Amino acid sequence: MVEKDKLPENQIFNKEHSRLYYYPGCSLMSSARELGESLFAMAKLVGSWVEELKDWNCCGSSPAHSVNQDYALLLAGRNLILAERQGIDDLYVTCPSCFVRLRTAENTLRHAPVKNDILEEAIGKRYDGTVRLKFFLEVLTDSRRELFKDAVVNPLKGLKPVLYFGCLLTRPEWITGFDVLPYEAELRSFVDSLGVETKRWGYAKQCCGAHLAVTKPELADTQVDKIRDQAKRSGANCIISFCPLCQVNLELRGSKDTRLPVFYISELIGLACKLKNAGSWLKKHLVDPIPLLEENKLL
Amino acid sequence: MKKNDNGFLNQVEDKCGHLLGGCFHCMACSSGCPAVEIMDYYPNQIIRMIQFGMKEEVLKSKTIWVCVGCYACVAQCPNRIHIPHMMDALREIALEEGVEPGEPDIWAFHREFLKQVDKRGRVYELEFMMRYKLATGSYFNDVGAGLKMIKHGRLELLPTKVRKLKEIRSMGDYFDGRKR
Repeated sequence: MVEKDKLPENQIFNKEHSRLYYYPGCSLMSSARELGESLFAMAKLVGSWVEELKDWNCCGSSPAHSVNQDYALLLAGRNLILAERQGIDDLYVTCPSCFVRLRTAENTLRHAPVKNDILEEAIGKRYDGTVRLKFFLEVLTDSRRELFKDAVVNPLKGLKPVLYFGCLLTRPEWITGFDVLPYEAELRSFVDSLGVETKRWGYAKQCCGAHLAVTKPELADTQVDKIRDQAKRSGANCIISFCPLCQVNLELRGSKDTRLPVFYISELIGLACKLKNAGSWLKKHLVDPIPLLEENKLL
Repeated sequence: MKKNDNGFLNQVEDKCGHLLGGCFHCMACSSGCPAVEIMDYYPNQIIRMIQFGMKEEVLKSKTIWVCVGCYACVAQCPNRIHIPHMMDALREIALEEGVEPGEPDIWAFHREFLKQVDKRGRVYELEFMMRYKLATGSYFNDVGAGLKMIKHGRLELLPTKVRKLKEIRSMGDYFDGRKR
């Protein structure tokens, strides 16, 4: 790991972004705890202090918008109100699904005063439209990207991942606000800076089955098999995921003979920068990634 | 013969905020849909049925419950018809009008999830999975998967909750009509 005193001072104490507020989401507290830990470690690496949105609540996820649009709006909306009350301008969201839910609500509340009325009626305050929602990887702005590259002390040579964006990392672009192709290229170049050899494939946005993995496991099994099979055909030996639900589905579902380790992007950051806890994250995997990492002498 | 409901198209359009008349049935949506194999009607068929006013068939269908909202369809649609929002609206109408869900397990999943949200403001995954199993009677399905998650420390043993639960409850009123 790069020692802080070796970095130019202006890069460590970038006042503008020295404190990052984040919205964790429910799975970051349980099934994807390591995603959070590693993302926060990454933020610290580039000189930011992270702080949780106080008293946050579930964004409503798929179930809320699936059965009641107003309820979905309220659940997401309360978090926006909290951010405003706590004086937060930029709120970083760690889960792609929460990100889409929160941005959808933000968009609706800004453009439909009728919907803001409902929010006011329910929790006594209107959303003024002052919160900028960002996806957590946006922490790595251009200048910080350079800083980050210096921190890569253990290039992950030998890992041949495919990038699995899942449904909601970039889609729908009129909600996420990302210019899809350039954004994906940017993510790819970022991943390449970890020293891996990214493989190209066509299944980056093929749905893993999402919550149907619980209600219709057979369907998720077929989906996951197709995805992992394609990954193998492209010459990959692991998959990089950005979403807690995708990561679980891609490791837990599907048949035995297509299995591949699925890393969160941030875990690889941890390994490449030799962060303190990186080893402990690996134990949580449902498909053991350790043989692959040992084989390539990356541990 | 059953009478079709000619106002259905407008009802759905009003609810979801998108116009559904532009579909020319190129079937890009249905071809790219990850869940199409367990649907009883293709997504574009649902649009046609809405246009024909086949309200009962649409609201009782499995398709509207099976859709996960992955946005593959709308990303591919040449006319940008927002099928995921349309499906959201159809489910909402089905529940409002007391139509028996075509996929009771999926409805149970959503219902139990939202009960968790209403209870603590956050989802306690362990209890949520238990309650889902109780609600659907699927006690022994997928036990292996659950145990694996617990073994690898992927399920939190204790829940956390929101401090201002009053606000959460007051929002919940909009969902289950406690106020109305």
